[in-house]
Amino acid sequence: MENRYQRVLLGLCLAAATLPATAQDPIQVVEPQLERREIEPPAIDSENFEVGFFAGMISIDDFASEPVYGVRAAWHLSEDFFFEANIGLAEADLTSYEKLSGGAPLFEDSERDYQFYNLSVGWNVLPGEIYFSEKRAFKSDLYLIAGVGGTDFLGDTWFTATVGIGYRLLINDWIAWRLDVRDHIFNRDTFGDDETTQNIEWSTGVTFFF
Amino acid sequence: MRLSATKLFTLLALTLSGAVTVAEDEASVTSRVVEAYIEMHTHPGRNYPVFYVAERGETIELLKRRTDWIKVRNQRDIEGWVHVDAIGRTVNASGQALGFASPDQDSFSTRHWEFGFMLGELDSTDAITGYGGYHFTPNLSLEAAYTENYGDFSDGKMFTGSIVHQMFPHWRYSPFFTLGGGMRETNPRSTLVATEDRSDGVASVGAGIRIYLTGRLMLRLQYKHYVVMTDRDDDEEAGEWKIGISAFY
Repeated sequence: MENRYQRVLLGLCLAAATLPATAQDPIQVVEPQLERREIEPPAIDSENFEVGFFAGMISIDDFASEPVYGVRAAWHLSEDFFFEANIGLAEADLTSYEKLSGGAPLFEDSERDYQFYNLSVGWNVLPGEIYFSEKRAFKSDLYLIAGVGGTDFLGDTWFTATVGIGYRLLINDWIAWRLDVRDHIFNRDTFGDDETTQNIEWSTGVTFFF
Repeated sequence: MRLSATKLFTLLALTLSGAVTVAEDEASVTSRVVEAYIEMHTHPGRNYPVFYVAERGETIELLKRRTDWIKVRNQRDIEGWVHVDAIGRTVNASGQALGFASPDQDSFSTRHWEFGFMLGELDSTDAITGYGGYHFTPNLSLEAAYTENYGDFSDGKMFTGSIVHQMFPHWRYSPFFTLGGGMRETNPRSTLVATEDRSDGVASVGAGIRIYLTGRLMLRLQYKHYVVMTDRDDDEEAGEWKIGISAFY
């Protein structure tokens, strides 16, 4: 019984194998000359990463505006898009209620540390050049940026969405001056109800390409 | 990239001591124009004006690369930016085309590194993930991921490592399977009655798809199922949906 199955299967295999051979297709003898892209490009310095620091003011919802500072790092994927990571620190003061009531503070000092971090995608929407003199022009980019991250504030970590607009002016090939406005949006239920807070950051900084 | 560390040190040296001595010990890379001409732009970008054309037979020195643009200098010391595809059509001393090209779907299927971030839902809470992966064969890669999720009752932080298998690396829509494990830390919300932070092992299984977009960019969609191995009688299970954007190198 097994023998017969094997014979039938082998027969089928043979038939299948011989089928294409008997077909009257023209046989390609000469291989077409394919352009192969196997050449290693010579090693030249690439400058697609940008790191730097920033300082500015952040207006913390329900609290006052406070100085903020931090670091940014970006990876430029193309002339149009880049990924950016940010870490920033600020410290909130008393809420208006705490100041007016004169009662015991609602939060401990360590809980007032406002710390944010996010990963964003930026789009250089308006690349441009600005002219300082007849012969001297500097590259500039106006970009839109959006990202997600977290905010450590009032003893908890809050899921935070960040949107913003920024301006980058390259002083030479690798030093840039930046100006940013970003809104850090998160829902907070520290005061009972869940409320959406908008925390607007204004900052300026210097970044370096490498 | 090779010079970037040197640049960083130079940067440090500059800021610390103010010394302006940059050692240019690297041999320069040159190439010859064989097409009718190549266009030099004032800055790295397609919208910047062409202010000079290097003609056939001219030799240009390749200085540095920014995204898809290469800064070049010709023999008359004129510097400008040329698109990498145009440089790819110039030749070296032995008449061979330089292997430069802008990233395309071909580079997507032969990528070595990928980095990205994702946004989604882990067990009906908001969650974000940052990850990096190394492809040691076209089909297999190792990934490390950091996930945070923000719930009404607790926050979580999770470190995982996984092995990812993609069956059809050359497809534009490339599906994958993944298996992994790691650690999860859960911190109850401060508005709740104080409970202890806890840390548990996790194991995960998942599937998803990477979609090549353009340049170095790809979209990533995935579902992962986690088993959290708690100290209590029952293990917890959680499902996670994610969408993200990644770049490859």
